[in-house]
Amino acid sequence: MPWPLYLALKQLFPTGRRFPFFTFISILGVALGVGLLIVCISVMGGFGREIRNMIVNTQGEVQVRSEGLMQDPRAVMDAIEKVPGVLATTPFAEGVVMLQYQNKPAFPAIQGVDANRVDRVIPLRQFIVAGEYDALDDDRVILSAQLAMTLGARLGSRISVYSPLLLEKLKTDEILIPRELEVCGIFEIGHQQLDSSVVIVTLRTMQELYGLGRAVHGVNVKLGEGIDPDRATADINRALPVDGVAKSWMDANQEFLFVLQLEKNMIFFLLLFIIVVAAFSVASSLLIAVVRKTREIGLLGALGASPGQVAACFCCQGVIIGIVGTAAGLGLGFAVVHFRNDLVAGFTRLTGSQAALERFYQFSQLPAYLSRTDLLLIISSALIVSTLAGLLPAWRAAKLKPVEALRSE
Amino acid sequence: MSNRPPILQARGLHKSYASGARRLQVLRGVELTVLSGESVSIRGESGSGKSTLLNLLSGLDAPDAGELQWEGEATLSAARRGRLIGLVFQSFYLVPELDALDNVLLAARLQGPIGAAERARACDLLGRVGLADRTGHIPGKLSGGERQRVAIARALMNKPPLILADEPTGNLDEGSGEAVIDLLLALCAESGCALVLVTHNAAHANRCARRLFLREGGFHPV
Ligand SMILES: Nc1ncnc2c1ncn2[C@@H]1O[C@H](COP(=O)(O)OP(=O)(O)O)[C@@H](O)[C@H]1O
Ligand SMILES: [Mg+2]
Repeated sequence: MPWPLYLALKQLFPTGRRFPFFTFISILGVALGVGLLIVCISVMGGFGREIRNMIVNTQGEVQVRSEGLMQDPRAVMDAIEKVPGVLATTPFAEGVVMLQYQNKPAFPAIQGVDANRVDRVIPLRQFIVAGEYDALDDDRVILSAQLAMTLGARLGSRISVYSPLLLEKLKTDEILIPRELEVCGIFEIGHQQLDSSVVIVTLRTMQELYGLGRAVHGVNVKLGEGIDPDRATADINRALPVDGVAKSWMDANQEFLFVLQLEKNMIFFLLLFIIVVAAFSVASSLLIAVVRKTREIGLLGALGASPGQVAACFCCQGVIIGIVGTAAGLGLGFAVVHFRNDLVAGFTRLTGSQAALERFYQFSQLPAYLSRTDLLLIISSALIVSTLAGLLPAWRAAKLKPVEALRSE
Repeated sequence: MSNRPPILQARGLHKSYASGARRLQVLRGVELTVLSGESVSIRGESGSGKSTLLNLLSGLDAPDAGELQWEGEATLSAARRGRLIGLVFQSFYLVPELDALDNVLLAARLQGPIGAAERARACDLLGRVGLADRTGHIPGKLSGGERQRVAIARALMNKPPLILADEPTGNLDEGSGEAVIDLLLALCAESGCALVLVTHNAAHANRCARRLFLREGGFHPV
């Protein structure tokens, strides 16, 4: 072991002293910063991933739309399915309708899905909380949970559906006869907007309601595991017949994802300051050590140490505090992330805010996900910052002239 | 006697310090040659420049004028100083975080990686200065005399041909001081190491082969 490293270790963890207080405080500062970063970025990442899953689960990874109507969805799907990496496709038609149930109206978004294909792209089945997904046919409808609640509709309720097409008929003085559909299922995705007002019907029902004939509005695409959505999107665009443009879920939700990313970056940046503040305390305690050890630094010079080696000794102390603090912080952070739900449960029990938490955040389990890049970013910034903290004391120590240092009393 | 090679040669050393507006001339043409294995004592009043001279002799400070040669070479890098010169100071300067053994070994660590041979030598030296059962004690748990003996072991660790000792008994009581001087002289004689001993104590000085007196910036015979 090079002696500057040896001496740095000995000065931080002196022989025979069980509890080096200065060292402990310095390490604790760095550890708290790193731990907090790990926890916050993990939870942010967890939410980000939930949202990503929700988007992908409801739209597929790639969505193909045409300018107007897609007249020949069969041909489009055939073309897309030949693209490598594509697992499955399903057509959809979408719009807005008016619903009425026992004189209560609602204006939800409506999705027409191909009951035979949709399952392979969008795991609708797993969001069904009541009723049967398989029961969906041309005379039945699946409601989102909150919509069902507002309307007071339950399984088996018959609801009237008015489409914009009826308005056209109104102009020609025809009698308005709404479509009667029976509720066969209720779904809940866990996203306020989607759960509040969406209805799902078969593609055929939707085509009839909107008078689309055989046309659809677009096609949702599922990609294989680990396929890059951007690459696949480009490939699909190349393979598409004239009408239709493919967009990956990331493109389609660009603004939203941007805000999400920005939020995470801000949190990272702000919490990094905890480490910076910790580094200031490391720097100041090392500076004090340099002053306190002036004569020993002079002695090192007398024993044959070069200024560079003396500097290395103090620099190493910053690095060691950084490494140990980061390691402790990782342990602390991951422990908190691991027990996060117990901690949240304990906290809400203390404050009695369990119900509020579930109502406003739509979760009872805190998600957590830390990407490898985020982890490396946290580790490397903590190490860099604490190394920088060692530089100023190191420079002060190197500047001391042995004669003057030895003379100081 | 005179055919022994010189370890250290100093010619016409001048050193002054700024003292307010004037300059304080501390050394004015000091001449000194230390031969291999000989012992030289330097006495002088407090403030006569003994420490200043030793700093020049150890290469820690540079003279205003004059020439210095260590084993015939005019330059002394920090690393070479560590091999060539063992230093003993009035106030010991042990590293408080290291135990006695590690303090002695530190001198060797600065020269390169250490192994079993170095450890054995350090233990042996601590045994020679009578601290065989104190190797694991940190300086805070040693008496002044014991600390100075650790410092002597450290100075001898790299088998230097020259020891410069600046008032090594200045902080010690008479008994401990006597023991330290005994050890210093004995160990130097044993290892053929030259010794320059700065001291206030005439009795200690008289035990060296050659005795010098520093006054008004130059040497005078006692
Ligand atoms: N770095 C310095 N700056 C100014 N004056 C100094 C310095 N070092 C020593 N002196 C002065 O030089 C003189 C000799 O000092 P020193 O060599 O320590 O004497 P001694 O060791 O013989 O007691 C003293 O008057 C002291 O004040
Ligand atoms: Mg002195």
